[in-house]
Amino acid sequence: MNHVNSIINKINRIKDSGEKVIGCFPLYPPLELFHSMDIIPVVLWGIDDVLAGVSESDKHLQNYVCSVARYLTEFVLTDGGRLLDGLFMYNACDTLRNLPEILECGLGEKDINVPLFNIHIPAMYTGQTDSSKYLQDEITGLVNKLEQEYGVSYSEKRFRESADLYREMRRLSLELDALASSGMIGFGDFSRIIHEGYVVPVDVQVESLKSWIKNCGSSPAGKKIPEDEHRVVVSGILPPPPSVCDIIEKSGFTVAGNDIASLYRSYRNHPEITGDAGKFYIDFYQNHFPCTTLLSTSDRRAKAIMNLIRERNARGFIFIGEKFCEYEYFEIPFIDKMLRNEGINTLLLEFSIDDNENIGGFGTRIESFAEVMSG
Amino acid sequence: MQQQENPGVRKSDSGKRMSRMLTSSYMNLHQKAKEDAFVVWIAIIVPAEIFLGFENVIYAVPESHAALSAGKGVGSLQSAKAEGMGYSMDLCSYARIDIGTAFDGGKDSPTFGLPRPHLLISNNNNCSLLVKWFDVYHREWEIPHFIMDVPFCYKPQKEKDLGYIMAQFRDLIKLIEKMSGQKFDIDRMRDGVAHTVEAVKQWKRFIGFAVHRPSGITAFDTFVQMAPFLTSRGTPELAEHYRLLADETAEKVTSGIFPVPNEKYRLIWDNIAPWHQLRKMSQRLAELKANIISASYTYCMGSLEGNFDPYEYDGADPLRYLARLQNFSVCPMGMELRSRAMRESIRRNAIDGAIFASNRSCKVYSVLQMDQQKRISEELGIPAVMIDFDHADDRKYSEAGTFLRIEALLENIERRRMEG
Repeated sequence: MNHVNSIINKINRIKDSGEKVIGCFPLYPPLELFHSMDIIPVVLWGIDDVLAGVSESDKHLQNYVCSVARYLTEFVLTDGGRLLDGLFMYNACDTLRNLPEILECGLGEKDINVPLFNIHIPAMYTGQTDSSKYLQDEITGLVNKLEQEYGVSYSEKRFRESADLYREMRRLSLELDALASSGMIGFGDFSRIIHEGYVVPVDVQVESLKSWIKNCGSSPAGKKIPEDEHRVVVSGILPPPPSVCDIIEKSGFTVAGNDIASLYRSYRNHPEITGDAGKFYIDFYQNHFPCTTLLSTSDRRAKAIMNLIRERNARGFIFIGEKFCEYEYFEIPFIDKMLRNEGINTLLLEFSIDDNENIGGFGTRIESFAEVMSG
Repeated sequence: MQQQENPGVRKSDSGKRMSRMLTSSYMNLHQKAKEDAFVVWIAIIVPAEIFLGFENVIYAVPESHAALSAGKGVGSLQSAKAEGMGYSMDLCSYARIDIGTAFDGGKDSPTFGLPRPHLLISNNNNCSLLVKWFDVYHREWEIPHFIMDVPFCYKPQKEKDLGYIMAQFRDLIKLIEKMSGQKFDIDRMRDGVAHTVEAVKQWKRFIGFAVHRPSGITAFDTFVQMAPFLTSRGTPELAEHYRLLADETAEKVTSGIFPVPNEKYRLIWDNIAPWHQLRKMSQRLAELKANIISASYTYCMGSLEGNFDPYEYDGADPLRYLARLQNFSVCPMGMELRSRAMRESIRRNAIDGAIFASNRSCKVYSVLQMDQQKRISEELGIPAVMIDFDHADDRKYSEAGTFLRIEALLENIERRRMEG
């Protein structure tokens, strides 16, 4: 519960400073836009290992819903609903798209009214119908609704400043990622630092990243960088639980890179800075690092993964499967086949809602994988 | 005097005619593909009338083929093939059946599989995982994949969204013209739309016999009879078939022939059909004097956004009509709109109880049912149960568990009646 309290404390701290807080899901909301309009966005993702249970969520969602949605619902229906000034979502998977009305129902039962905003992000392949105008209109519509709801206003200058800050945050995230890749910071710690950034204002996140980079740089963790055959890339919607990150590293692996939705896929690319929010987000979504949750990027994913593996000189690939995440699981067989053809060893670990406390089996599989990679 | 038919799924004249239609459409599909027709695979909600605007473009519907496979008892066999290739058992069973069939060259399929496509067309409003499913073939076979991007509706479709969808239809037409070398003729498509409009009208007539006491139909009839809507949309044969189906049902009602003549409990079903259980479930329900007389899965056909009656076509731009029809199914809409249509069906058909079938394979249909169940029960004062099933994978279904709940529902209805 400490981590939850920490999230609540962080949100409370933002609110104490007089700012409004909007909870966002899934992973790639227009953060810069909210920030530029004096609304602090927090991304409700990766809180899955921090709640004691999902009893509230269980009143609304079946047990074959992924833990991401169940924990998100739990958070909003317990503490989040009273804390947040708004909720934002865009179209994602078949589960998440039903959540807005479910959350409204749950919050309504508690007499909590939280304004809900949503937009549709075009999801089609390059070369199909030009969807730029559609997205531009969606962003304009969102701006209008935010102005109306919160009495705030949009300015190009403020937007550019916010976009600058977020670009810096992504640049620093990449820098810390590189340190993690070289073994200067453990992958579990690295993931935690990035995830903590989701619930603090971006300027605080930037300072935190700078501080970690400085610390890592002056203290190379005192360990030998492992041989190449122990370098792996991990991939999934979420990083593995901290205990599993420990096992991975104790088994002799270095997480040389990650293709995690809430990590690398989030901070790898950044659009050109412009004061035109519509134009910015056209670039942002069209050129986003490929993610299973962004349907339009699927065609580029295999190549992006291979580039990452080569760039990080990795020899193994660990799929961190989030049980019931169809978007991820549809792509695993193809990616797995491609990697094996390229001589990359692969391992699939599947995590469901109760698995954080039951990691023994994962340890055995990871250790066996290490033996396989050692040849 | 009422006459009793064998309970369960009846092989009526319309049933036999439908079987012939389906067989013929699948055989034609293979035949025309051999004769160099341009083949597209589509998600069920992609408007098939567009393809009628071309001289020699044929379409196959993998979802429909998967349902047929499950109904014929080979669902889990085909699913297991996909699982053997690494596709998780948690994925949609339609997708697993289809992938298993496709990569095994149509072996064990009741239709010898589907002819290999030149173009894949998915859409993301009925079910967004369809995009991922079609991507499997797109990558493995290197076949172009056109994603119809249709915004999900929590409220009725916006004009802006309608324009966006129409623009995509136009681009799809251009793409097919380019790929197939065939010229699109809007008048041919207009004729197709007119046939669909007529088919929908007759379909609504058919499901309207649920109002009768006892009901003139079961939802199982509607599940079976919806199949040609997916495979023969836009054809005069479909419109004629549904006219004859409605006529035949009318005649039976007039003659006092009912599927569950001693009907005591009138139920509604919310989700895709349990394809592997149609006969068994309907028979067992009939033995309990219960009839599922309405289903959200089939009453939605031709209706939009919470309405129960068909969406009227004004005869103007057929593309506009088809863009509106992108919302004719259940899943492109949120809970508020879905509940509105369900309330209407419950009121019209004097439903006694609701079965919310929570479907592991269809999150888009199922993930909101817990709240919807609460809402429907509270607002309309009818009891409801939730059962757990999978529409096409019988390994994820327990008959005992299901009927335990259904029997509890019937007892609940009975108790309420006794309490007045």
